[in-house]
Amino acid sequence: MPIPKLTPSEGETYDTSQKPPPFGHALKHYFAFDDDFVNLNHGSYGSLPLPVLFTATQMGYEIERNPDLFHRFKVKPLLDRARESVAKLIGAETDEVALVPNASHALNTVLRNFEWREGDVIIGATTTYGAVTNTIRYLADRSEQPRPEAVAVTYNFPLTHAQILDIFRAKLREVKQQRANTAFTDIPPLSPRPACANPQGNKIVAVIDSITANPGVLMPWQEMVRVCREEGVWTVIDAAHSIGQEPDINLSESKPDFWLSNCHKWLYAKRGCAVLYVPRRNQYIIKSSIPTAFEYYSPGSPEAKATGPNFAKQHDWTGATDFVHYLTIPDALAFREWLGGEKAINAYCHKLAMDGQKVLAEVMGTQVMDETGELTLNMPNVALPLPAEKTPGEVYTREQLKQIDLFLREQLLNKWKTYAAHYFHAGRWWCRCSAQVFNEVSDFEYLGKAFNAMCKEIKETILDDKSG
Amino acid sequence: MPIPNLPPPSGGETYDVNQNPPPFGHPMKYYFPLDDDYINLNHGSYGTLPLPLVFAATRMGYEIERNPDKYHRLVLRPGLLEKARESVAKFLEVETDEVVLVPNATHALNTVLRNFEWREGDVLIGATTTYDAVSNTIRYLADRSEQPRPEAVTITYNFPLTHAQILDIFRTTLREVKQQRSGTAFTDVPPLSPGYVAPTHPADPPRGNKIVAVIDSIVANPGVFLPWKEMVRICREEGVWTVIDAAHSIGQEPDINLGESKPDFWLSNCHKWLYAKRGCAVLYVPKRRNQYIIKSSVPTSHNYIPPNSPEAKIKGTNFAKQHEWTGTADTVPFVTIPDALAFREWLGGEKAINDYCHKLALEGGRRLAEVMGTQVMDGTGELTLNMTNVALPLPAEKASGEVYTREQLQKINLHLRHKLLNEWNAYAAHYFHAGRWWCRCSAQVFNEISDFGYLGKAFNAVCKEIEETILSEGSNERAR
Repeated sequence: MPIPKLTPSEGETYDTSQKPPPFGHALKHYFAFDDDFVNLNHGSYGSLPLPVLFTATQMGYEIERNPDLFHRFKVKPLLDRARESVAKLIGAETDEVALVPNASHALNTVLRNFEWREGDVIIGATTTYGAVTNTIRYLADRSEQPRPEAVAVTYNFPLTHAQILDIFRAKLREVKQQRANTAFTDIPPLSPRPACANPQGNKIVAVIDSITANPGVLMPWQEMVRVCREEGVWTVIDAAHSIGQEPDINLSESKPDFWLSNCHKWLYAKRGCAVLYVPRRNQYIIKSSIPTAFEYYSPGSPEAKATGPNFAKQHDWTGATDFVHYLTIPDALAFREWLGGEKAINAYCHKLAMDGQKVLAEVMGTQVMDETGELTLNMPNVALPLPAEKTPGEVYTREQLKQIDLFLREQLLNKWKTYAAHYFHAGRWWCRCSAQVFNEVSDFEYLGKAFNAMCKEIKETILDDKSG
Repeated sequence: MPIPNLPPPSGGETYDVNQNPPPFGHPMKYYFPLDDDYINLNHGSYGTLPLPLVFAATRMGYEIERNPDKYHRLVLRPGLLEKARESVAKFLEVETDEVVLVPNATHALNTVLRNFEWREGDVLIGATTTYDAVSNTIRYLADRSEQPRPEAVTITYNFPLTHAQILDIFRTTLREVKQQRSGTAFTDVPPLSPGYVAPTHPADPPRGNKIVAVIDSIVANPGVFLPWKEMVRICREEGVWTVIDAAHSIGQEPDINLGESKPDFWLSNCHKWLYAKRGCAVLYVPKRRNQYIIKSSVPTSHNYIPPNSPEAKIKGTNFAKQHEWTGTADTVPFVTIPDALAFREWLGGEKAINDYCHKLALEGGRRLAEVMGTQVMDGTGELTLNMTNVALPLPAEKASGEVYTREQLQKINLHLRHKLLNEWNAYAAHYFHAGRWWCRCSAQVFNEISDFGYLGKAFNAVCKEIEETILSEGSNERAR
């Protein structure tokens, strides 16, 4: 039978000729949250605006009217349109951009395409996202040669950008010095070519966060890319949180070797949808999409000679999937335009992050992590009112850390109906909030009240501190 | 704001479990979102999502957005996800933690093949009829620019073939592969094969070389049912690992019985014949046997366990748990699997559905061949479950290039696709195989014989057009 006719309800549609409501609680009208849910954790899973959810639903029905017609004829131009809209946002060409299910997938696509040799080094950090660290470890865990070696830079926040750069530069040099017998001659295209540049030699690949997850801090990644370029180190930028939060991303200027970001986080796209950027000069490294596609060509085959690396084309179809997430990116961007555009959105969110973190620290009697302001875009990090420890195990056992984590999660969501990410870092408990267009300062106040109550309970129960 | 007052389900979006369903055939279209005038004889390619599932998926989509943190942290795992996996495991009669859900069959296949640690001297066997993306995966692994990499070997099947013929070809090729590599010690054999030695430690490298065979249970083009269980048995005897690409099987193939057939790995798309939402597939890896091979999900997960860690001794490779979360994704296709199974139960259950579809495939194929004046591919009935393959009324060639240039083949394919979908409003897959043009039709619960008659009429007209235009350059004597 014909698909039902869908009519948008309140909040699922907006009039482009009318002004949007002001930023703050008034905008909750356009999001699907329960009224009493104080969402200060947009950063983890994103928040899908109702108008985009409605369009996605409509598209879902449309596809089912004739799946063959849709997949064989209609998808490609729509996908190209989506890719183009994202490419424009990040200063890239359309064919340097592929859409994949999520940032972890994008990261795996890059790291698993490198042909690893014994002696290669992958540099991560102690703050690298768990699944990414595990990807590096998995590659290094191959039971026999060839496999890369995993190295991690240690960052204990708070740190300034200058300090981060010092630590990073020192680590790079240490890595090379400690491996003086290895010829790191497989260097990225833009690095200064020594006389013996040799793709058959060894390489160093650095996975660098633009914005770390826990803590939620902005790193001086463009400077780190420059340092790597000088040192002949490949750069893979895990920018999962960047698109839609970080202003002025211009990849043709910063020139990382690989860059990836989740569109379903700060860009308001439907889950799961991410962008993988690979500049033309590096596309030869990405031999195969994951999964391998219909459009894969063997290197050296006549097709490969005729078309060159077909990075973008391979990613057009990597198995049947729900394309709606990718195809509704332009709808997400249009909604953001209507709200005022990237600049206006992020000016509001950034200011709210700064104001909100002050209030939160006041209510909890603690401090913000970012004293200089360098580390914060839209995600402030504030210490929780729980004891700090100078050495691991001084205050908390592993079991207690787990219990506290679970307790906070369960109580925040079920009892207090609010959420912000919470994590243990460098001996302290912290929370990471996300300031979004539907938040206001009072949300931070409420969160502080919730944390105060829960942390008091934690001290009295899990930590058994009767003195309060 | 709270999720809007969603309209209640309309028409075919809901069904009363206490009422009988309509009979199979066109009345069933009520429960599917296809355009009324679209004759869909190609369910097999992308699946057809029943309206109650579209509705359930939409509702779920809104639910998640009420509180994404609560959903992902408290509701999805283990709860909803485990319920979905359980329902599939029950369906396949295997244990819940032998089964994980991934986005599609190609992804499942890549997970298996990319987890093997390949050594120089290993052999990866596919077939000329292997699905393109799968052949390409094999080729990609063999294309590594330097050692170690497996060698790709391809078995040639030119249909029509009987099951007995297929088994002969397969057995012979396996023996040939070994004979031609008599200097290689293929001692890395699967657990149930003679000569198997279990690894003493999770971090142990593989012993010796191995042969891995990717075997279709049901091929895509042609859409034929292979004697895969027998092929698995042969491989077990020969010490060859079996990866069964069963993309089309779940919801179409009766009596899959993995516990008895014991393949090493098996994977199938739930969004094809099982009525689940796109994209959703099941990967089966028997525990106590092969899960140690799957070291990492793709992408690697938070729950990855390094083989050298103490945890590895207790949890092994943590196969099921790793696949619980491999990055933020749309989980709706996974969690609505139980809804798909419930709908199929209401329709009459697996046996009733597939009895109807199978019978229609056989009758429909015959009718189609009649209308087009050609023949069905499957002479004996062995090759057909719910997909029938019928020759198109276009010239056949005995040798490659005798009738068709590569360009003409491409043009014909595009022409058929365009005309069928945009002018005739009907579709079946079409492909060139072993010198002939064929179509592959999928018989579903919403199809009837008349659909095949109409398709035949469409093919007659379009093929006549093709002969008069694309093929009119060149004057080869046509073989019929």
